Amino acid sequence: MTSADTSPASPVTAPDAATRLSDILWRRPRLLIALLIGPPLAWLGIVYLGALFALLAQSFFSIDEFSGQIRYELTLSTYAELFRAYNLDIILRTVAMAASVTVAAAIVAFPIAYYAARYATGRWKAIFYLGIMLPLWSSYLVKVYAWKLILAKEGILGWLFETLHLTWLLEAYLAIPGIGGNSLSVSWTGTFLVFLYVWLPFMILPVQAALERVPPSMLEASGDLGARPGQTLRHVLIPLALPGIIAGSIFTFSLTLGDYIVPQIVGTSARMIGQAVYQYQGTAGNIPLAAAFAVVPILIMAVYLWIAKRKGAFDAL
Amino acid sequence: MKKMLRGATAMTLALSVAQAALAQEMMTEIGEGEGELRIVAWPGYIERGETDENFDWVTGFEEATGCMVRVQTANTSDEMVALMNEGGFDLVTASGDASLRMVAGDRVQPINIGLIPSWNMIDDRLKQAPWHYVDGTHYGVPYMWGPNVLMYSTEVFPEAPTSWSVVFEPQDLPDGQPNEGRVQAYDGPIHIADAALYLMTHQPDLGIESPYELNQEQYDAALDLLRQQRTLVSRYWHDAFIQIDDFQNEGMAASGSWPFQVNLLQGGGAPVASTIPEEGATGWADTTMMHSEADHPNCAYMWMEHTLTSNLMSDLSVWFGANPAVPDACTDGRGMQTAEGCTTNGFDDFERIRFWQTPVTQCDSQEQCVPYYRWVSDYIGVIGGR
Amino acid sequence: MTAAVEFRRVERHYGEVRAVDGVDLSIAQGEFFAMLGPSGSGKTTCLRLIAGFERPTGGEVAIMGAPMGDVPPYRRPVNTVFQDYALFPHLNVRDNVAYGLMIAGQGRAPRRRAADEALEMVALPGYGARKPSELSGGQRQRVALARALVMQPKVLLLDEPLGALDLKLREAMQEELKALQRRLGITFVFVTHDQGEALSMADRVAVFNDGRIVQAGTPEDIYYRPEAPFVADFVGSSNLLPPEVTRRLGLGDGPAALRPEAVRLVSEGGHAARVTGLAFLGTATRLSLDLDGHRMTALIPRGADMPAEGSDVRIGWAPDDLHLMKVSA
Repeated sequence: MTSADTSPASPVTAPDAATRLSDILWRRPRLLIALLIGPPLAWLGIVYLGALFALLAQSFFSIDEFSGQIRYELTLSTYAELFRAYNLDIILRTVAMAASVTVAAAIVAFPIAYYAARYATGRWKAIFYLGIMLPLWSSYLVKVYAWKLILAKEGILGWLFETLHLTWLLEAYLAIPGIGGNSLSVSWTGTFLVFLYVWLPFMILPVQAALERVPPSMLEASGDLGARPGQTLRHVLIPLALPGIIAGSIFTFSLTLGDYIVPQIVGTSARMIGQAVYQYQGTAGNIPLAAAFAVVPILIMAVYLWIAKRKGAFDAL
Repeated sequence: MKKMLRGATAMTLALSVAQAALAQEMMTEIGEGEGELRIVAWPGYIERGETDENFDWVTGFEEATGCMVRVQTANTSDEMVALMNEGGFDLVTASGDASLRMVAGDRVQPINIGLIPSWNMIDDRLKQAPWHYVDGTHYGVPYMWGPNVLMYSTEVFPEAPTSWSVVFEPQDLPDGQPNEGRVQAYDGPIHIADAALYLMTHQPDLGIESPYELNQEQYDAALDLLRQQRTLVSRYWHDAFIQIDDFQNEGMAASGSWPFQVNLLQGGGAPVASTIPEEGATGWADTTMMHSEADHPNCAYMWMEHTLTSNLMSDLSVWFGANPAVPDACTDGRGMQTAEGCTTNGFDDFERIRFWQTPVTQCDSQEQCVPYYRWVSDYIGVIGGR
Repeated sequence: MTAAVEFRRVERHYGEVRAVDGVDLSIAQGEFFAMLGPSGSGKTTCLRLIAGFERPTGGEVAIMGAPMGDVPPYRRPVNTVFQDYALFPHLNVRDNVAYGLMIAGQGRAPRRRAADEALEMVALPGYGARKPSELSGGQRQRVALARALVMQPKVLLLDEPLGALDLKLREAMQEELKALQRRLGITFVFVTHDQGEALSMADRVAVFNDGRIVQAGTPEDIYYRPEAPFVADFVGSSNLLPPEVTRRLGLGDGPAALRPEAVRLVSEGGHAARVTGLAFLGTATRLSLDLDGHRMTALIPRGADMPAEGSDVRIGWAPDDLHLMKVSA
C-alpha cells in the first residue's frame, strides 16, 4: 500500500509535452469528447444543416410568372404549386413507388438475412457478404443500364419467356393498365424491379444485423410455449427484427424518393420527385419549386419515422 | 454523368446570380494559353478519336496551343443551362433554346469578333442569327446546325414516311401493326414546338406563325396533340444512347431524332433511315458561347478560331450528320465532308427549319406568348398523363 | 405409473462429437430430478432432447409414455425455463407470461387473469405492466418461471435457472423452487453444474460426464456412496485416494473416497500426515495435508486444537466413511 512513498525512485517523472497533453485529457474526459466529435459535428452543422436551411429558405420564395425571375419575398405560393394536379401526381407516384419498393425489399430481404444470421457460418458467411456487397461495388449506372438490357422487349427476360413459351403470360401482364406497358423496360414494373435490385442490400444488411441480435433461445422459448414456426415469426421474430426493418426501410424509402436516374432510364418517362427537382432546378431557374419539391421527401420521412415510433417500432431497441 | 442536386446548389446559385449582375467587359486581346479548356457540349460534339479514330478534332488543337480540352456532355438544353449556372466551365455549345436564357442571365460574355481572324468565313445566314446576336452584340461563334429528323425503321417503313403524323396520330404503320408503343418523342419541353409545327400544317386556322411563339389557344392545341401522343409513346427519349438502345432492343418504329443517332445506328448496321417530312422540321443551331467567368479565356478564344479553320466543321458534319457554320468546310477538303454530303444533311433546307428558341412572354409575332417556364411544367404534366 | 420422461439408449452425435452417448433414464412423475455435470457433459443436450430443440440421432425419448420421435417442441407437454430466461423484450411482463395462452387461442380476459395469478405465485404481483428490461435478474427469473408454469406443463425443464443470480438470491430461490414443486406436484427436470444446488433440491440426481450418466441416485447415494472417482471428485470436494495409496495404507484394493469432514485428528493410531496449509472458514478450519506423498484436505470443526502449519499430525476416520469404489474409471 505504501510502496509508492517508500520506493527510492519516485515513479512520477517530469512529463514531456505529449504526456502533459494526455494528462489534461485524462483529467478532463469531456474535453477529449469535445475534441473528438467537434469537427464532425461542425461539418454536419454547417455543411448539411446550412445547405438544408438554404434550401428551405428558397422554397419560400416564388418565381415571377412572366419574367421567370425569382421574387425574393416570403410566400407559400410555391408550396401551393405542389398541389397542382400534375405536381401532386409526381408526389403520389413517387410515394407509391417508394412504399412498394420498401415492402417488397423487406419481404425479399428477410429470408436472405435470416439465413445469413442463423445458418451461414465461416466461408458461407463471407460469400454472403460478398454477394450482398458486390453489386454495391459496381457503378450504379452500369447496373441500371444492365437492367435496361434485361428488361428490354428484345432483352434477356423477353427471350427467357419466349424460350419457355410463356410470352403470352408476359403479354397478359404487360396489358394490365398502370403497371404494364409496351415492354418491361418502359413499364412501372420495370422501374420497380430496378429499384428493388439496387436498394436491396440496404435492406438486407440492417435486417441481418437485427436478426443476429435475437438470441436463439428467444425462438426456442416461443416454440416451447406452443407457437408454430409461423406464429413465432409473427409474434417474436418480426417484432424483434422491426428496428432493422425500419432502418432498412429508411434507406430504401428515402433512396427511392430521391432517385432521378432509374426512372429516367427504365420506366414510362412520367416524372418522379427526384427528376422533378432536377428539371425544375435546371430550367428557367425555378429553384423555389425545386426546393419545395426537395422538401417533400424530408417531410414524408419525418412523418414516416413519427408513425413508426408511435407504432412501437423501436421498442425492442 | 450528371451532377447531383444538392441543397448547396441553390445557395451557390443565389450568390452567383447576384455576382453576375456586374457588367461584363469584352476581351480586347488574346494572351498566352492557360493550358486548359473546359467545354459543356452535346454528346458527340467534341471528339478526340476515342469513339472512332477517324474523328478527332481535339488532339491537333491541344498540340498546337497546349490547351488541354475537358468535355462535360449534356443531354438537354436544360442540363446545359444548369451546368453553366453551376460554373467552372469556359465554353458551351448552346442551342437556341438555351443561348438566350444564358445571355439574359449574364451566364455568357460578349465575344470580340475582332479577336477571331476567320470570322468572315462564317455562313452569312448565321453571322447575325437572333439566338446569339442580341442588341448589336455578338455572344458567340456559330458552330453547327441541323434538323431534328424523323428517324424510322426501314423494316417497318419500306418508303420514308412523309408526315410527322406517324408519331402524333394513332394509326397502323405500313407493316400492319399499330404505332402505339412503337414511337418515341423527345423528353424536353421544346418538343411542344414540334407539335406546334405539325399544327401549322394541319390546323392552319390556329394561325401559328412560329412554333416558339404560341398564344394560350395555340399552346392548348399543341398540348392536346401531345396528350394524344402520350398514349402512343412508351418512353420519351432523353439520352441519345438510350434512344439508340431502344431502336436496337425495344422494337421502335419511328421517332423524332438527331442525325447523330441515325449515323451511329446505321454505322452499327441497324435498319434505320431518316427524313424531313413535308411539315418541315424543328432544328438546332448551336453556338459556341463563353462563360462570363471563364477561367481560361485565352484558350477559349483560340478554340473558337480553331472551330472555324480546322477539320472540325467538316468532320463533325460527317460525324453528326449536321451542317457546318463555315460553308467552305463542305467543299474545300479540309476534312471528310463533301458538297453532296452537306446537301444530304439539309444544307439547302435552312429555310425549312425552325430553329430552337426559348419561348418568351414578349414575343414578336403576337401580343403575349406562353413562356418557357410554363412549357416545362406543362410538359411534365403531359408526360405524367395529365 | 408411466414415467414422466424416459430415455432409451438415446444418442445425439454431431459428426464425431458424441454429446449424448447412449443414455438410459427414467424420471418418475412428480419427481424433482437434477442433471449434474461439468459443461460439455451432455446434461443440457439431454434437456433439449426432452424439450424437442434437438432430435436424437439414436434411441428414443418418451414423455408420459408417448414416443416423441416426430413431435416438434410446440406440441410437447413440457415447458422450459431458459438459462438466459429468454423473455421477449418487446412484450411487457404480463404479455410475456400470457404468451403461451395467447398462442393457444385463449381470450384476452382469461389469459390476463391467468398471467396475473401466475405472477402472484412467483411473488411478483403488480409487475405485469413493466418491461423485462426494467426488472432485476431474480425478477426476470421468476417471470420466466411464471411464463412456463402458466402453461401447466406435465414436465418443467429448468436449464441452469439460478446460474446468473448472486449467492444469497440463489439460496432463497432454491428453497422457493423446491416448495413450489412440492405444492404443484409437477415433474421438474433441473440442469445444473452446481453440485450443492443439485444435492439440496433434487429427489434424484444424475451425474453426467462425457455424454453418459456416470451415476444416478438419491443425493445421499451420490454424496456418500459415489460409484466412480469422477462422481466423488465432482460432487463436493471429496478426497480421492488412488488405488496405490489405498493399497499402501492397507485400506483396500481400489480407489476410495473420503469426505474432508470425516477426517479427524487423532493422538494415536491412524496415519501420519503433515499439515501444509490452514484456511479458516468460520465454523470449521480446512487443513491441507500431505498423507504419504498424497495431498488431501480435512475439515476440522471449531473448538478443536489446531495444529500449526508444517507440524506433523496423525489423522483417522471411521471405517464406514471411507467409500471404496468397485470401478476404477
